[in-house]
Amino acid sequence: MAMTAAALDAAHDGLRAAGIDFVSGLPDGWQRPLHERVELDPEIRYVPVCNEGVGFSICAGAWLGGKKPALIMENSGIRVASEYIARISLGTGVPVTLLCSYRGDVGETEHWGIPHGIVAEPLLQALRIKYLIVRHVEDLAKSIVRAKRIAEAQLHPAAVLVSGDCVWED
Amino acid sequence: MALDRYEWLGRLAGRIPDDALVMSTYIGAVSFEWAHHTEEHHRSAHLGQMGDVIGLALGLALALPHRKVVCLDGDGSVLMELGQLVAMGEQQPGNLVVFVVDNGVYESIGWSSQGRRPTATAGRVDLAAIAAGCGVPYTVDVTAEDELDAEMELAFSRDVCSFINVRTRPGHSHVRPRRTDGIEDKYRFVRYVERLEGIWITGVPPQDIALMKGREH
Repeated sequence: MAMTAAALDAAHDGLRAAGIDFVSGLPDGWQRPLHERVELDPEIRYVPVCNEGVGFSICAGAWLGGKKPALIMENSGIRVASEYIARISLGTGVPVTLLCSYRGDVGETEHWGIPHGIVAEPLLQALRIKYLIVRHVEDLAKSIVRAKRIAEAQLHPAAVLVSGDCVWED
Repeated sequence: MALDRYEWLGRLAGRIPDDALVMSTYIGAVSFEWAHHTEEHHRSAHLGQMGDVIGLALGLALALPHRKVVCLDGDGSVLMELGQLVAMGEQQPGNLVVFVVDNGVYESIGWSSQGRRPTATAGRVDLAAIAAGCGVPYTVDVTAEDELDAEMELAFSRDVCSFINVRTRPGHSHVRPRRTDGIEDKYRFVRYVERLEGIWITGVPPQDIALMKGREH
């Protein structure tokens, strides 16, 4: 199962409207189509990685060079990236927009997604990352724009967690 | 015969192109000695920490592909996050040169009568071989001074993504620690990049400043 076609368009529109011009990430089942879309977008430099911590460091370095970066990943990746989010952003104040699949949210069908849902929000709170949970497609694009806006204002990451109608057509 | 770190960092500081940017470690002797040799020039970002220095340098190099980016990292830091070498090998930015100070020990944590705690490079691990296996186009393991001079010459005379591992003797010089924290280091570097590149990165955007000036009249 992947994000819906409408959610895919909304996420891509949101990234463009937010001025995101640099994306790193590790594809997951839900947001795989977004990685495919972004990779083909000539306005966005796409850098695939094999773990989200490396992706976060790359995004932070790109911001220092003037890019507006986003990291696209499953919420399990927040755990992996947390080491570098703490070192780089809590330590020096670097903004990166995080766009995460919210596996383990209410409606989850996969047992392995449950721990991701248990850990994600407390971990974001521990890292002082403000976040929006988006369960309706019509909220997705503007939520990405708003997350990027506060990330730049506070010089610290902000996150959008994607779930609900963006992925399930039940 | 391993090299003396303080001495070769000084030679590197003398050879680095004036318009290059540097991503260095944030704490520890490498940062202190580099800051000493470069008189804390703002082209150097002392922002990297264990496991993220190459990632930061890679992002910077991809953001500014026309600009030479030099990365200064340590063996313990590279070992903590080898996935950085995978990304470096995949992307292969020709403007990125990584120098690793490989002294085979965790020096900054101190030592006892038992000596220094070894890193894995003191054993069988070969970082240059790992980087080559990740697809980094040019990798080398340097153990001699004349060899290092030639490598530095090569690194700054061409555009090839390079990983230069320099085997260094353990041991501290006695330069003073740096006084700034990561926040100050970030602003210094970002303002330098803004001036160098003629771009806006953070703070009040130029168009808003123009707007405010317009309101004054």
